[in-house]
This record gives sequence, structure tokens and C-alpha cells, in this order.
Amino acid sequence: MVIADLTSDIGLDVPVRRIMLSRCTDEELERMSRQMGIGLSLDEMKRVRDHFSSEGRDPMDVELEALGQAWSEHCCYKSSKYYMRKHFFGMGAPYVISSNEDAGVVEFDDEHAYVVGLESHNHPSAIGPYGGAATGVGGIIRDIFCMGAQPVATVDPLFFGPLDLPQDSVPEGVRHPRSIFHGVVAGIRDYGNRIGIPTVAGMIQFHEGYTGNPLVNVGAIGIARKEHIIHSRVGGPGEIYILAGGRTGRDGIHGVTFASADLSSSSEDKDRGSVQLGDPITKEPLIHACLEANEKGLLRGMKDLGGGGLSCVSGEMALAGGCGAVIDMDRIPIKEDGMAPWEIWVSESQERMMVSVLPEKVQDVLGIFEKWDVLARVVGRIEEGRRIKALWKGVPVLDLDLDFFTAGPEYCRIVEARVVSREMKEASFPDPDRPSLEKALLSLMSDPNICSREAVFRTYDHEVRARTVIKPAVGRPFSPGPSDASVIKPLSGSNKGLALASDVDPFFCEIDPYNGTMASLEESFRNLVCVGARPHSITDCLNFGNPERPDRMGDFARSCEAIGEMVRYFKVPVVSGNVSLYNETETGNVPPTPTFFTVGIVPDVNLCMTSDLKEESNLLYLIGMTKKEMGGSAYFRQLKEECSCVPSVDLEMSKGAMEAMLELIGSHLVVSAHDLSEGGMAAAIAEMCIGGGLGAEVSISRIGRFAGLEEMRRDTILFSESCSRYMVEVRLPNAGKVEDCLSRHHVPYVKMGTVGGRRLRILDEDEILIDVGIDILDEKWRNGLRYVLEGSQ
Amino acid sequence: MKVSDIRVAVLRMEGINCEQETYDAFERLGARPEFVHIKQLEKRWPDSGGYRDLEEYDILMLPGGFSAGDYIRAGAIFASRIKSSVGKDLVRFIEEGKPVGGFCNGFQIMVELGVLPGYSSTMSDRPEAVLHANDSGNFECRPALLKMVNRGSCVWTSRIEKDEVRLIPVAHAEGNLILDDPDRAYARLFDSDMVVFRYCDTEGDFEAPYPYNPNGSRFNIAGICNDTGNVFGMMPHPERVFDRIAHPDWYRKRISRDEGDGRAVFESVLDHVVKRF
Repeated sequence: MVIADLTSDIGLDVPVRRIMLSRCTDEELERMSRQMGIGLSLDEMKRVRDHFSSEGRDPMDVELEALGQAWSEHCCYKSSKYYMRKHFFGMGAPYVISSNEDAGVVEFDDEHAYVVGLESHNHPSAIGPYGGAATGVGGIIRDIFCMGAQPVATVDPLFFGPLDLPQDSVPEGVRHPRSIFHGVVAGIRDYGNRIGIPTVAGMIQFHEGYTGNPLVNVGAIGIARKEHIIHSRVGGPGEIYILAGGRTGRDGIHGVTFASADLSSSSEDKDRGSVQLGDPITKEPLIHACLEANEKGLLRGMKDLGGGGLSCVSGEMALAGGCGAVIDMDRIPIKEDGMAPWEIWVSESQERMMVSVLPEKVQDVLGIFEKWDVLARVVGRIEEGRRIKALWKGVPVLDLDLDFFTAGPEYCRIVEARVVSREMKEASFPDPDRPSLEKALLSLMSDPNICSREAVFRTYDHEVRARTVIKPAVGRPFSPGPSDASVIKPLSGSNKGLALASDVDPFFCEIDPYNGTMASLEESFRNLVCVGARPHSITDCLNFGNPERPDRMGDFARSCEAIGEMVRYFKVPVVSGNVSLYNETETGNVPPTPTFFTVGIVPDVNLCMTSDLKEESNLLYLIGMTKKEMGGSAYFRQLKEECSCVPSVDLEMSKGAMEAMLELIGSHLVVSAHDLSEGGMAAAIAEMCIGGGLGAEVSISRIGRFAGLEEMRRDTILFSESCSRYMVEVRLPNAGKVEDCLSRHHVPYVKMGTVGGRRLRILDEDEILIDVGIDILDEKWRNGLRYVLEGSQ
Repeated sequence: MKVSDIRVAVLRMEGINCEQETYDAFERLGARPEFVHIKQLEKRWPDSGGYRDLEEYDILMLPGGFSAGDYIRAGAIFASRIKSSVGKDLVRFIEEGKPVGGFCNGFQIMVELGVLPGYSSTMSDRPEAVLHANDSGNFECRPALLKMVNRGSCVWTSRIEKDEVRLIPVAHAEGNLILDDPDRAYARLFDSDMVVFRYCDTEGDFEAPYPYNPNGSRFNIAGICNDTGNVFGMMPHPERVFDRIAHPDWYRKRISRDEGDGRAVFESVLDHVVKRF
């Protein structure tokens, strides 16, 4: 045992070892890192060794563990930072208050700011779907209220393998996607519902690439008075650290190092201890107590203990305030006896918050926590000098230079960008007849990636706090259709609203990470626009494979470039985000999945727009340009057709359409609006019909057939997923004004037909292409998830 | 009594999470709501200035949520804490005719306390009903249509016409009301005018299946009161539809009224207190 050979006990009863790095060969350094499970590379181990040599000593195990955690990919973004900085970091907007802390802080109105964050909890959810997802929600909620904001909504984008995957296609050591799906949804339900923050939006995607490595991204947003925004830094020397909330235990040890490596077939057994345990009934009063103490002006700094635990929080908060700190580990409330100092130091146990308080305010703060029955203890104090120290039974067990501790490595990894052909291709078979088109539409409506998510979001309380004015379902209350985005009215005294959308199309990104990323981000903008909101900020969660592989890193770099392109053109800033790499197993990596959580501002919630059709004989207009970009489309996927040309964003056209839409909605000229996405135009109209319980008769004869253009196939027109397109419903007397507005913004449009009846009829000249009853469309769409869950049992 | 003098205790403990919107509803109608933590009634508050007694209030409100996590039986822990500390005060409060209301978890707590249905005594020794798991086996967050069927005894619904249908959403996993001794209990409930709201469909029909009846409750019962009409509990959440804009379909019928279907519940009880005290 190398460790035994190269360590020496400090003495007596202190279970701390000094790791004799100075005596290690390169091979031994690597083995040491592996055996301790700290995930540092040889170069990083050497850097650590040299640092301690310069201090004339070897590190204690606590110190090495702390560095392993702080320098993990998850904590210090060592592979991703370079590209994010190059492409979109720092591209602010005047209304961004802070974009470099646990969550982004953005101006909402003169007096208020919203606080927004999005995180991944992918690896824990693969091993323990229920606990992993629950603690994911818990973590992002802490990120919001540690800035002094009252959380008002959560958003959960989820990605699983196919629910009907045959058992023999599930790799060894991997749970069936259905089991992961049920566990994750139940975890979000039981945690989110208990803490009383509505889960109002999200997305669910199924793709074979997520089979071994599901993605659980969790986002949240909160609201605060600007003067109550508090930062993750101490005020100065002499202040006192108070640790509040849950006890520290052995759960969640090595969580971030586990999240910074590929999953393997033995992960379930080996890494179970890395998954934290959540307790919403500790969290709920913890939120009240922290916000109360903050609003009374008793706190100087506040930060949550997430990935990185006590170690990262106590060091980072002190350093951010230009100080150091000393922690008395005997004062940390622990869950079980016998925990070694290093375990206490790096544990990622949930529901814990650190606050920094002036000595004279300590009693007041402890009193507030006592009121709420929340455990809180004085655990340390802030000192001059940029070092973090820890005592265990009075013995110093850690004494780290904070500048070294937080100066994690940064890599410019080798990238290998793929070459993607932009050759437009239509289907290879003859243009289908009516029965085939109808069959295709019905099959798209029940496609697991398109069908209703009601079976999931009805189990989430999306209305608690009574401020969800546009809900995940819109239209007839008992047979609703899909909502493009949800809208929260965060303040009682103001009609201003926050629209929330999340989006990414992994099928596009898998073929073409650059165009796929742009299309995904633009779709989330379109979702906001369709409820009448102007895109205001972006929060991203970039889920990719192993960054040490040049092809995966190439995808990541292209995706960052695309985000930069969009951010610069639309002047909508990225205000916070998260990167999750190493999303791969022995059988492959996940499709590149840059998830976007975008926030829009609705000037007056009374003007919000929805997608359900409103009344007979209104007109339907298609806005935007349909192109032969069938790559990654649901239609091509179902028919196993190949095409590498995914929808691309024409920035100018996209902006024009967006501005026109906002003008139309803001001046009451449209009565419903829906964006065209998966399943294309046919699926979009069908969804509008379902929500409104009304039929429509439309013609495609004027679409994509401009002089000089090669004729487009009918299935392409019906099912293309080209970007920047919307369907709107217009009252007859407003048709002229609508057309004027669209022309003024140089946006192409086609008047397609009228609302009415109980059937969806799509014609080409006199030929009927599709003629299906609304109830049949409704049944297919509404029960899609049930078909796949029950059909495979 | 003036509305502005009416003191409403909005009771909380950890896991209660609908207290803010419940408080807001009373405040917006001009009453004086106050958050009261169970520890304040138990006199276990860190500072004695925060001690409270039930008799200081005119209305007691038990909001929704997951008190203590609802890990045992929904509402059971909160109920036992109330009963063991201020049980006698609560009985006096009810017997003085002061209104007590509970929505969702609040209703579950009241049933666990034995103050609903409460036909044998003001507060029975053991629960006489249970709010059982929904038939669907799921947490159900969805709109519900409620027909007001009370013939006049309930002080929480005087502003709602009999047989009027209102849209008030539900969000619970355990809302299926089952009474002890069902053969006699249901008849007694109806005969004594203790049924207040029943789930119905868009035609107002009680034969409505799921999802109109979101939990499978027998006779579609959504809310009940005691035989004196001052103690009232319901599974749906009227505080969530205080405003029209919180309805799931407000944008389909753009009407000028900004009042939501739940507001009348709060107006009714305030009306009652104004007239009676």
C-alpha cells in the first residue's frame, strides 16, 4: 500500500495522516491520487507537491482532499473555461447586476432583481435517480436564496434513454431508462412539492445516447429587493462564520470528483456514497430563516454548501472578501461519530448554509434559526491573511494558501471539430399520399419527444405561491394543449411578469453542434416570444462528454462559438451557467446537450399570449421561411431518413420575426401564437387545435414555392423544423394590420386558412393531404407517454 | 366588528408552504392576518414577546403544504402538536363560534385533529374520517370544478349561491375523503348540511369521473363543515384563485372582472365575523 508507506500519523488520537508527496515517484503520485479518489492528474499532483515543498512540508490528507475537490472539473471548470471566456463570458448588458456567483442577478424593475441559476445533477441521478434529482432541486434552490432572493419557480430539463428500450439493449450495470425516469420524476415531485416552490416548466427528451448517462438539469429563479441582494463573501476580519441547516455526514463524499469522471458499469456500487441525501423539511424553514436574517440586515455574506462542501465555502467566501478564516471542526454538527476530519471537510451533505456575521449580531442570528428549529452553530471566524485553516480537537489539520487553493488549473484542450455537410436533402421515397401523411402526423403527435407531458407536470405542484399565470398547459382547462413558456408574476404590487422557457434539441446538436446549438437557443427565445415576453437573459447548462477526447471537446468548442454568436447578435447576456463534462459511459457519450434556461420579461401579464385556438373563422398565418432542413427532424427520425442539414438560424430573419411577433402580441393583433418546432408546421397547428378544442382548414399551396426556387416536397413543408417560424391566429378585421407589421419587419408570411369545425384539414390546392378529427389528434398527443410506458410493460 | 379589526392567525410549522398566499388573501380584503408559528402557541418561542394565545384571534386558518413532511399520515404530526398544546383553547375557540378553516394540508390536519367532521363532539378523541391516497396513486395538480351544495349552515360560503359552480384547483396526493362508519356517516353529513363543495364536470354533473373528481372521493365530496358551520375544510385551494389571472383559462374569456373564483370564500368568512361579532 503506497499510502501507508508514504503517510505518517500526526500523533495520538488524531485520525489525520500526512501524505509524503515529496518522497513520491511520478507513478506513486498517480497511484496516490487514484487510491484517495481525488481525481488529480499527474501534472496537478506535481503542482501540489511543489507548492508544499515551497512551504517546507508535505500536505495533510485533509489538505489534499480539499485540493482534489477544489480543482475538479466540476468546481473549477478547468477544461471549459477557456472556450466560454473566448466566446461569451463578460458580454454583459446594462441590466446585469452580477454574473459571477452561485446564480446570476439581473434587474427586474427599479427596485427588484431576479436571481437565476441552472445546474446539472447528472451523475448522482444515474446512480440514485430519486435522491439525485431531489438533491439537484435542493442545490439550485440554495443557490437562489443564498443571494438573498425568495425562490419563485423551478424548471427541470430532463434527458433519458428510450422508455421502451428492450431490456437486452440496456448495458450491464445500468438501470433501465424507465426506472431512471420514474425515480427522477418522483424525486423532483417529492422534494419540489414539499419545499413549496412551484415546478413550472422544463422539458423531457428521450434519446438512446442518454441510456447509461441520463441528464438531470435543474433550474430555479427567485426575486429580491435590490438592497437585499447579498454576496458570497465575508465583510472583513473578526466576523463570525455560522453554519446552519443539516448535519454533516458521510453522504456526498467525493461527489464532485465522481461528477468529473466517466461513469462505469461498477459506478452503482462504487459511487453510491457520493450521492447526497435530501431533506426538504429541513430546507423549507432554512429558506425562511436565512431570508429573514438577511432582510433584517444581520448578515454580511451568505453562501450555500453544495459541491465542494465546507471546504470550498469557507475558503471561497473568505478569499472573496480578501480575508482568510479558521474553522473549528469540533463545532460542526455531524450525523455520525467517527468521521475523519477529511470526511467532515469535503462532505457534500445537503441543506447547509454558511453565513458570515459581525460578532455583535451572532445572538440575533442564532435566535432566528432557533425560532425556525434550524440547527445553527458558530464554527469559525474570519482572519487577516489569505489562508484557510482548520482545527480538529485543537490540532491544526489544514492550513492552505487560498490563492493556491482557488487557482485551479485551466486547460486549452485539443479540439477536433467535425465537418458537417449543409447539403439540403428531402426524403428518399416518393412524396407520400394522404393516408401516409395522416399516419405520419398521428405518429408524430404520440412521439415520446412531442406528446403531452401532462403525466409528469400534474405530479409537480406548479401553482403553489399562486403566481403562475401561464401554466405548463394552456387552453381548455380539462383538455389543454402545450404551453410555449410559463409565466410567473413574482410581485403582488406589479403586473410585470417573468416568462421561463428551457430548450435544447439534442438531435440537432448531435449532427451539428454549431447550428444545433443556435437552433436550440433560438427556439427557447421563440418560446418566450410566443407568450409575449422579450428574451432578457440566458442561463446555460452545457452537458458534454469527456473533455480529454478531442472530438467531444470539438463539439463543446463549436457549441460555445454558437452561443457567442447568438449572444452578440441579440444582445441577450448569459448571466449564469454550469458545465457538466464526462457524461459518458463505456458504451459512448451523450449527444452534445447545451441546455438553455431563458428568461423573458412580460411588461404586463394581462397581455400574455397562449397557443390554444380561440374562435371560429379567425385566420391562421404562418410566419417565417420553411426550408429543406430535415436533419434531426422528428419526421426523418421516425422514417430513418438521413440528412446532415439541421435547421440553421438566419440571425436577421430571426430578429425580424421576433420583433414583429412582440409588436403583434403587444398590440392585441393576434389572439394565439405558437412556435414551430418538433413535428414542424403540421404538429404545431394540431397542438393549437387541441388546446382550443377547435379545428382548422389550411392550405400549403403558397409555401416554399417562390419563383426561382426549386419546388419543395409536401412532407417537407408539413414537417420541416426550420427555425424562426411561428403560427398565429388573427381576427379578420386585423388581417391588414398584421400583414403590414410583418412586411415592415421584412418577415415572410403566408395566410394559410381559417379556424373552425372539429377537424384539422390541410390541403394543397384542391387536394386533401390531411383530414383528421381533433379528438383523434388529442387522444394520440395526450396519451403518448402512456402508450410507451404501458406498451412496453 | 370592522373588517380592519379582524385578526386572522395563519398557523405555520415547518413544511407548511401555502401560508403566504393565504395571508395575502386576508390582507387584501382589509383584515389583519398574522403568521403564527405553532411554537408561539406552545410558548416555546426564543423570545417571550412572541408568545401568542389563540383567543387573541377571530379566525384561525390552517394553510396547505406538507407539515413536518407528511411522512406519517398527511397532517398527523401538526394535528398532534396542536392537540397536545392548545387543544383545549381550540375547543373553546370553536365553541365560541369563531371560524376555523383549512385548505388542503389544513383540511387534512383538521380531520386528524377530529374537529371535522366533528359530529359527535367539537373535537373527537380520534379521527372520524381520513383523507386517503388519491385513486390515481399520484400527486394531482390540476383545476377542479366545485359545486357549492351547502344549504346555508357554512359561514365560509355565504357569498356563493347554492349550486353555483366554481373553478378552484387542487394539488395533493391524499384527498380522498373516507368517513368512519360510512353507512350512516354520509347520510348524516348530507342531512346535517355539512357538505359544502362537491366535484362536478363542466355540465355540473356529479357523476363526473377522474379527472373531474381528482382523488376518487365518495359522493365527490371536496369540502365539509361541522354542524355549526364555523369549522370548514376543503382539499382545493381557494387562495390560489384569488385573482382571475390565476385561473387556467383566464385569457380565453377576457372579461373585465379581475376576481378569481376563490375570493368569495375569504369574503364570506370576513362577512360573517363582521356581522356576528
